[in-house]
Amino acid sequence: MPTALTLPAGERGAQKRAAGVWRDRFGRVLTELAIWLPLTITAGHVVVFTAWTTWVSFTASSLMPDYTWVGLKNYWAVTRTANFQIAYVNLFIYSTGFVLLTMAVGLLLAILLDQRVRGENVLRTIFLYPLAVSFVVTGTVWSWLLNPGLGLQKLVHDLGWQDFRFDWLVQSDKAIYAVILAGVWQGAGFAMALFLAGLRSVDKDLIKAAQIDGAGAWRTYRRVVLPTIWPIFVTVFVILLQSAIKAFDLVRALTGGGPGISSTLPTLVVYDFMFQRSELGRGSAAAVLLLLTLVVVLVPYALFMRWRRRRQERA
Amino acid sequence: MPIITRRHLLAGSAATLAMPALGRAQGAKPRLTAISQWSAGSDGAAISALGKLFEEKGGVWQHNPVPGFTTEMMNKLRAQIMAGDPPAVSQLKGPEIAAWSKIAPTVDISPWVQAAGYADRAPAELAKSCQPAGKWIALPLQVYRINTLFMSTKGMARAGITKAPTSWAEFNDTAEKMKAAGMTPVANGGIRWDDGMKFEIALAGINPDIYRRAIMKLEPDALKSKEVLAAFEQLRKIANWMNPNIAAQSWPVNLPAFVKGDMGMVLMGGWAQGNLLKAGATDADFSSGPAPQENGPPCFDLNADCFIFWKPKGADLEAGQKLFADLVMQPSTQEMYSKITGSIPARTDVDLSTPGFTDGQRSSAQNLKDAIAKDRVVMSLGHNMAQPNGITAAMIDVLTEYVHNSAIPAAEGQKRLVAAVESAQ
Repeated sequence: MPTALTLPAGERGAQKRAAGVWRDRFGRVLTELAIWLPLTITAGHVVVFTAWTTWVSFTASSLMPDYTWVGLKNYWAVTRTANFQIAYVNLFIYSTGFVLLTMAVGLLLAILLDQRVRGENVLRTIFLYPLAVSFVVTGTVWSWLLNPGLGLQKLVHDLGWQDFRFDWLVQSDKAIYAVILAGVWQGAGFAMALFLAGLRSVDKDLIKAAQIDGAGAWRTYRRVVLPTIWPIFVTVFVILLQSAIKAFDLVRALTGGGPGISSTLPTLVVYDFMFQRSELGRGSAAAVLLLLTLVVVLVPYALFMRWRRRRQERA
Repeated sequence: MPIITRRHLLAGSAATLAMPALGRAQGAKPRLTAISQWSAGSDGAAISALGKLFEEKGGVWQHNPVPGFTTEMMNKLRAQIMAGDPPAVSQLKGPEIAAWSKIAPTVDISPWVQAAGYADRAPAELAKSCQPAGKWIALPLQVYRINTLFMSTKGMARAGITKAPTSWAEFNDTAEKMKAAGMTPVANGGIRWDDGMKFEIALAGINPDIYRRAIMKLEPDALKSKEVLAAFEQLRKIANWMNPNIAAQSWPVNLPAFVKGDMGMVLMGGWAQGNLLKAGATDADFSSGPAPQENGPPCFDLNADCFIFWKPKGADLEAGQKLFADLVMQPSTQEMYSKITGSIPARTDVDLSTPGFTDGQRSSAQNLKDAIAKDRVVMSLGHNMAQPNGITAAMIDVLTEYVHNSAIPAAEGQKRLVAAVESAQ
């Protein structure tokens, strides 16, 4: 910059300082921009569309949005369908089974890995691998494995055990358990990773103290290690539970909601009303109800986290 | 080897950018924006051939396929209509034509239809669905017979069966023989519309008039009739003969076993012929004909594909619509299209004796002609020809649950169907 070069030394310094201030300011604005712009867009997106969906759920919308107010009519209609009722019973079975089993299997794997076994890294990777596979792939693979005419049942039959039966996938009353099975396979590695991190974070002195007091391995885990990592249980529980409520792709790929509509879930009901039947009002009502279900889980969790933070601050 | 310099690239991109402007400059060159679900297989090939024909006639063909179910295509259509920019034509069928024509302006193509003499050539039921308010706003392209029974040649030999069943009693007898021979009598799919289709084939085969009143007009007394109960009973029998391991798989999964003779019968629309031939079967491996029929000559359970014409913005699109309509109504176009997809032309005066059509197509076209003459054409439930999506889905929920849960008695199934119709209306 030739002009800058001709300036006297003092002025040049001042200009440099001014440039520095500007750069600082620009930097700060940029930071603010980088934080607030995406946040506003994302929050706006979520809030606006949630509000819109809620509004639509109270209107006579069918093929297209139609803003004639109909009150709770859509909610009334949706909750009375067999799909909706089956879906919520299934959600209860699925979320209970999926969350508890995943936690149990995850914890077991974590404890076993915690014994400083050889090849831990390899095993950990193997157990975590299912998580890298999407639910659609999981569902498709398990739909072949669990198919009685092609998968496990046939394999065992071919091996000579002819009376073996494992046909949950095609039984109306058992298909949802097949979904749980595939879900646990996928989620257990994730639970294991969190639990393992928790186990490793336990103070070694604590364990040693227990050992000196003569506690066996089982007792040490039950009385010392697991109680100290209980917050991890809460976290894993909530993460798994909200993923169970949102489950869509797994069941869609695995059973398609069938046989019949026996393994349908609330998300499938929303999709069905919105995009298959083109009943926007009823679909929105189902979506709002699903959101409320999530709120029932997440609000207590948020309150719990706040309570814990407060307690830690006080301590 | 040519050397590409920056200058070449610049010139090239400038030319590319200028191209749309060039198109506009020519003004009235007919242009057509279209959406359909036909992206691959014989459907994709057929629509591409139609597009090529359109281009040969001097048009600009802009087809946007949305793969998947028809409903997926409808979601795209809905988005475009909401954005105020519907395509010039889109695939749409049955009662959906009437429903959708209320939410966006369409084009009255009656003069073109009259000029082409098309009105009397299309089956009346189908023509009615294309003119919801008395004016033509849509055009039928091709027709499929739903109530078609495919018999495995090897399967027939294995069970000692010499002719395809023509009544439900014969059908049940045939299935029992096949079962006794160690076969799975019915090769079915595990997807919901497949279950719904089995029911409609049963009811249409028992009594097409009751089908029309119960399924197409939703008359409560017809829905509660003994014929509908009989259809539920027949559906239970069919369900017990199905492949129990099908789960959520699609029906073509069974075709190799069907060709080999491990499975005996397929109840499916006429397009199954195309799937069979694609799966490696030859004409000798299977035979086809109308599904079992009682109470008179075979009815025709009709599924058809139509195009609806949306109000266009611009003279080029208007010209494109006219050109497209004229093309679709021509017998030669319909002949070309049906030869690719395995359907039968929507025009009933197309000559199917020419090479390229199969015996299956010929017999089903003859079936259609006879059914029209005797007023025995009904519209398919499972393929959204009888009712709008919402009601169809509610009915199929009941049917698919019934098929997969043998603990539901037929009378209970019928009761649930009546209740589902009431709550969906």
